[in-house]
Amino acid sequence: MTHVELPLTIFVVDDEPPARNRIKELLSDCSVQLPVEVVGEAGNGYDALVQLSEIHADIVLVDIRMPQMDGIELAQHLNKLPNPPKIVFTTAYDDYALKAFELHAIDYLLKPIRLGRLFDALSHVRNAIPLRTQELQELTPEPRKNLSIHERGKVHLIPIQDVLYLRAELKYVTVRTVNHEYLIEESLTALEKEFVTRFIRIHRNCLISKDAIEGFEKVAEDKDGESHWTAKLKGLDEKLPISRRQQFIVKEFG
Amino acid sequence: MPKHQSINQNLQPDALPNFRNIGVTLRTVLCVNGMALLIAAATATSWLEITLRMADISALLQPVLLSSLLILYLLNPLFARLNYRQGIAVVMILTGLITLTIYHFGGDLYVQPGEYSNFLAGRNTLLGGMIAGLLLAYFRLRTQALSPALHASRLQALQARIRPHFLFNTINAVLGIVRANPKRAEMALEDMSDLFRMAMSYSGELVSVQKEVALARQYLALEQMRLGERLKVNWHMENLPEDALLPPLILQPLLENAVYHGIEPLAEGGLIDIRLYCISNEMHLEMYNPRTEQGVHHEGNKMALTNIRERLNLQFDIEARYTVESGKDFYRVHILLPYVKVANHDAC
Repeated sequence: MTHVELPLTIFVVDDEPPARNRIKELLSDCSVQLPVEVVGEAGNGYDALVQLSEIHADIVLVDIRMPQMDGIELAQHLNKLPNPPKIVFTTAYDDYALKAFELHAIDYLLKPIRLGRLFDALSHVRNAIPLRTQELQELTPEPRKNLSIHERGKVHLIPIQDVLYLRAELKYVTVRTVNHEYLIEESLTALEKEFVTRFIRIHRNCLISKDAIEGFEKVAEDKDGESHWTAKLKGLDEKLPISRRQQFIVKEFG
Repeated sequence: MPKHQSINQNLQPDALPNFRNIGVTLRTVLCVNGMALLIAAATATSWLEITLRMADISALLQPVLLSSLLILYLLNPLFARLNYRQGIAVVMILTGLITLTIYHFGGDLYVQPGEYSNFLAGRNTLLGGMIAGLLLAYFRLRTQALSPALHASRLQALQARIRPHFLFNTINAVLGIVRANPKRAEMALEDMSDLFRMAMSYSGELVSVQKEVALARQYLALEQMRLGERLKVNWHMENLPEDALLPPLILQPLLENAVYHGIEPLAEGGLIDIRLYCISNEMHLEMYNPRTEQGVHHEGNKMALTNIRERLNLQFDIEARYTVESGKDFYRVHILLPYVKVANHDAC
């Protein structure tokens, strides 16, 4: 049984031009047995994300260590696309990531890449299970530099330094910046763990940015007359309640 | 120094200290006076008496100490011709004789009339020689304590060259250009083999500054191949004497740090600024690179720096200085070394 397949569309992301060149040469070598088409390339994660919002690729070959936005963060944002591409990581050497790849049985390519390995990876990747955002985060000790949401077919980035607070409500987490509010589908506990250096928990359902703290105010509650502490953040009128258990924060940051 | 050292041979060959090094001089002065103070304290019966005794001892001690240091300074090049045992004997006898001479011809200053005795003359001579011997033993122990750093640095230098990040990325880059630009690929492989050869033959002996700079440039050419426009390098070597010597592989590890931690994490790249110059008999090596605010991989960085610091300490004692200035968006290393010339090789 034979059926004509459309060529696999491939996008290459690597910050080193010779490395991208190498992959493209190998892909053209591959095309004898496996029809492939390179639909684009980028030198860093941002550029790749912008391009991949416009054009679709079946497979994205992503270098891990890149400036600005590394390969693992890129993969997390690409996951938000309506029809996310399959991702194959490439790396020359990254002890941390390699251990994580083995742990999660994620396929990756070691540079210098061999033609045979590339061919295998491309042939199998179609049936591979998509990577979950949570799983991807465990591949790196570094937190993302951006949160992302899917908006009208594109991925919108929210730089993490713009985020004032993160508040869990039912299924979603509200991400608040000075001018906007976004909803993301992630768990507050995982966010707390990932951004532990930047955010602090003030309540069971709320993390605030340490840099954004302007001050603390004691607010009297009308019912029982008991008062509790609230946090005031830069650029926001809203006062966020601090739970009794977290009141030590007032002393620590006040 | 024997040319072939096995890598697991852990100790430096014994050698006399370099008597022209300020560090050696300073350590000698401090140790000798320290010993004198102990003797003064041991024989005194009151606090005041300690100072009086010290003054007594100093009257003979300081002239002997200073003239011994001066004579050893002058004779320093000649010691290179002796083996270690002969050297020790010569230094001890020399110090003994200097003590005797000063005591004997010091006249009224040391000897009250009628008090001169063969015992005192003999005792002082022996004491002079023995103290010199003790100090030599101290310098030998000090060298032994520091010398693993030299050997470790050789291993580390080797490991750093085969640092997987550098090795695999460079090979990958060569593969990336070999079809399009075979000439450039050939050059890259040649540069790479030179770097490896230098690391493998590393002996710790000083090399000419040109050689060290050439090696650093070869390394940078390899990184340029990978990073292209992102890596910019400025060399300033206007006031660099051509006959200067440097410890081998001192620039390259610093440059590697600058590239790995400074340039690679920047999408638009950056400029590494290297200044080599000589001011009044001191060599300055300055290296500046930009860096991003957050850097995670700083462990390897520290290791390379610690090792360079130990090597400098062993080779130049306090005559070498090493400062690091680490700002929010830049990193600067400044190394100061004595200016050692090609002809005057004895300083190591």
